[in-house]
Amino acid sequence: MLQQYAGIGAMLIIAIVFPIIVIAISSIVRPKKAAKYKYETYECGLETQGETWVQFKTNYFMYALVFVAFDVETVFLYPWAVKFMSLGTFAFIEMFIFIAILVIGFWYAWKEGALEWN
Amino acid sequence: MIGLGHFLVLGALLFCIGLYGALTKRNAVAVLMSIELMLNAVNINLVAFSRYLTPDYIAGQVFAVFTIIVAAAEVAVGLAIVIAIYRDRLSVELDDFDWLKW
Amino acid sequence: MNIDYSLLTIEMLTAGLALGLLVLSLVVPGDQRKGFGYLTAAGLAIIFAISFAFNGVNKEIIGGMYLIDDFGNFFKQLALVAGVLVALASIPYVEKLESYRGEYYSLLVFATLGMVVMVGAGDLISLYLGLELMTITFFVLTAFKRGDSKSAEAGIKYVLLGAMSSAILLYGLSMLYGVAKTTVISELVSTIQAGQISPALILGLMFLVGGFGFKISAVPFHMWSPDVYEGAPTPVTSYLAVGSKAAAFAAFVRIFMGGMPQIQEIWIALFAGLSALSMIIGNLIAIPQTNIKRMLAFSGVAQAGYILTGMVAGTNAGIKGLAFYLMIYVFATIGAFTVAIGFSNATGSDEIKDMAGLSQRNPLMAAVMLVCLLSMAGIPPLAGFAGKLFLFSAIVAQGKLWLALVGLIMSMVSVYYYLSVAKSMYMGEAADPSPIEIPGSLKLVLIVSMVVTIFLGIYPAPLTGLAEAAASVFALK
Repeated sequence: MLQQYAGIGAMLIIAIVFPIIVIAISSIVRPKKAAKYKYETYECGLETQGETWVQFKTNYFMYALVFVAFDVETVFLYPWAVKFMSLGTFAFIEMFIFIAILVIGFWYAWKEGALEWN
Repeated sequence: MIGLGHFLVLGALLFCIGLYGALTKRNAVAVLMSIELMLNAVNINLVAFSRYLTPDYIAGQVFAVFTIIVAAAEVAVGLAIVIAIYRDRLSVELDDFDWLKW
Repeated sequence: MNIDYSLLTIEMLTAGLALGLLVLSLVVPGDQRKGFGYLTAAGLAIIFAISFAFNGVNKEIIGGMYLIDDFGNFFKQLALVAGVLVALASIPYVEKLESYRGEYYSLLVFATLGMVVMVGAGDLISLYLGLELMTITFFVLTAFKRGDSKSAEAGIKYVLLGAMSSAILLYGLSMLYGVAKTTVISELVSTIQAGQISPALILGLMFLVGGFGFKISAVPFHMWSPDVYEGAPTPVTSYLAVGSKAAAFAAFVRIFMGGMPQIQEIWIALFAGLSALSMIIGNLIAIPQTNIKRMLAFSGVAQAGYILTGMVAGTNAGIKGLAFYLMIYVFATIGAFTVAIGFSNATGSDEIKDMAGLSQRNPLMAAVMLVCLLSMAGIPPLAGFAGKLFLFSAIVAQGKLWLALVGLIMSMVSVYYYLSVAKSMYMGEAADPSPIEIPGSLKLVLIVSMVVTIFLGIYPAPLTGLAEAAASVFALK
């Protein structure tokens, strides 16, 4: 029992000491003054343009909202599918009603243009 | 051995972090995220109770499934209203919503 | 599992009506959507008539998850009759909308469905689902006026605070489940022992009271209500004021009276504090209000305090008073808000001072406002007096004279600000004395609310019978 903890303790010590050594060595070896590319957003490739806090079109959110709503509803399908054989025909009809209600919602989202991308 | 207590403490911590965020954040989206944390804390509670206290009776887990769905619906409506008010005021900071007396 | 689906007729018809309205609004082209309001009102009225067939039926389905009993039926009828009145009162408002007319009524019916499910729930899960169906629908309805900054702002405040309160409520429910090891409310009676009260149970109860306290806008959970009431479209406000409150009270009764009568002394202390605070603070802050919707919001806080005394009594008489008062409150509140709808529709103002001289401009509106406000204040022979009599006599019978005294004194305070509205309407000089015309649907709502309020004040027996039947579901003292 105690030996197992000794292993963990040794591991812990190594895990703390090793990074300290590595960081210490690298701080001795590396140049003190960084090259100018060091301060750019990406060290290679094109220069960045404009602010980093850009705004997305709200259409994107509409898409995401509709997706989340329908995605989460499928949670109900899993338990139903697992137990499908033992539930009988009536559960099938119930799920049919459930999906019909979802389809009405989907129809509504479609008609209102929530799925248009322009 | 991990037991019921650990899960309850985790749930309580998450709930408190969420509540703190919901009360102190000034950004509407951040408040919605904090509320989501609170709801997930409840899910941890429900599933842990169901697993440890009533292993043969899974009402808690069923409850958690319903909570997930309701939380998604709630947050979808919340974000939609945030978008609506953003179009109107060009801001989602709660301090800017002072047309009605808060 | 065999389920008798005929027991769920009301729920299925309401869901069918809501979905049917949504489909209709998809099929009918935008410029031809006219009669949706009347269709909704007629549909809900038919369901209301059918609900009387369920009086006296006491059954449970799916192992107690859902209950069909007189108590649930009483509150279902309350939700449906409020739905009919609000649908009619919405007609002039919806006609001014450019789009989304069908959706408005569909959402209204979905909110009704949420209340119906909530009051029939016999299990924490179905209770929570009903609650959220109602609340989320109200989020949308509050922010319904597109391009209106106040409506959007009220919407976001309601969403953030409402979602937070339901998270807190849910944490309380999870604690309750952990302590009782069941989610069926009727089984709580045997699994929670009076002798062993754990801190987890106390925490759960506090969170439950907090979450539902938000819905009934009891002090100190009332801060949202004036803002949301003022910003939301007025028909929505009236439904929010009566429906949300009545359903949350029904849930209170189900969980506390139905599930935990054995630990009464704990929650009665909580409710007594809430009740006294709501009566005092609600009435005092209502006095300086200048906007009629804000004034009615604070008066609603005070009314929540009066109704909570029914919970404090913890007896069948208390439940009877609570149910009776809530039904009366529906008519008084919808009447008062409908006057505000008609007034702001004609003049664009919600300010009390602009109502000066309303008795000359439209005598019917002034009379209905007067009757509804006096009923809320509890002046005999109006219905509110009978309601307060039932509530206060129930707590006096339990030896809580102090709370009844607080209620009486605060009712007298409330007469002051109710009458100052009346004074403005009857004594004030109108800046613009031109008569106000209101549409026929509003007139119908006004007349129904006034007649019912006066009739039940003089002859309360029919409603008392129903309320007594509702209370008899619970086996208390």
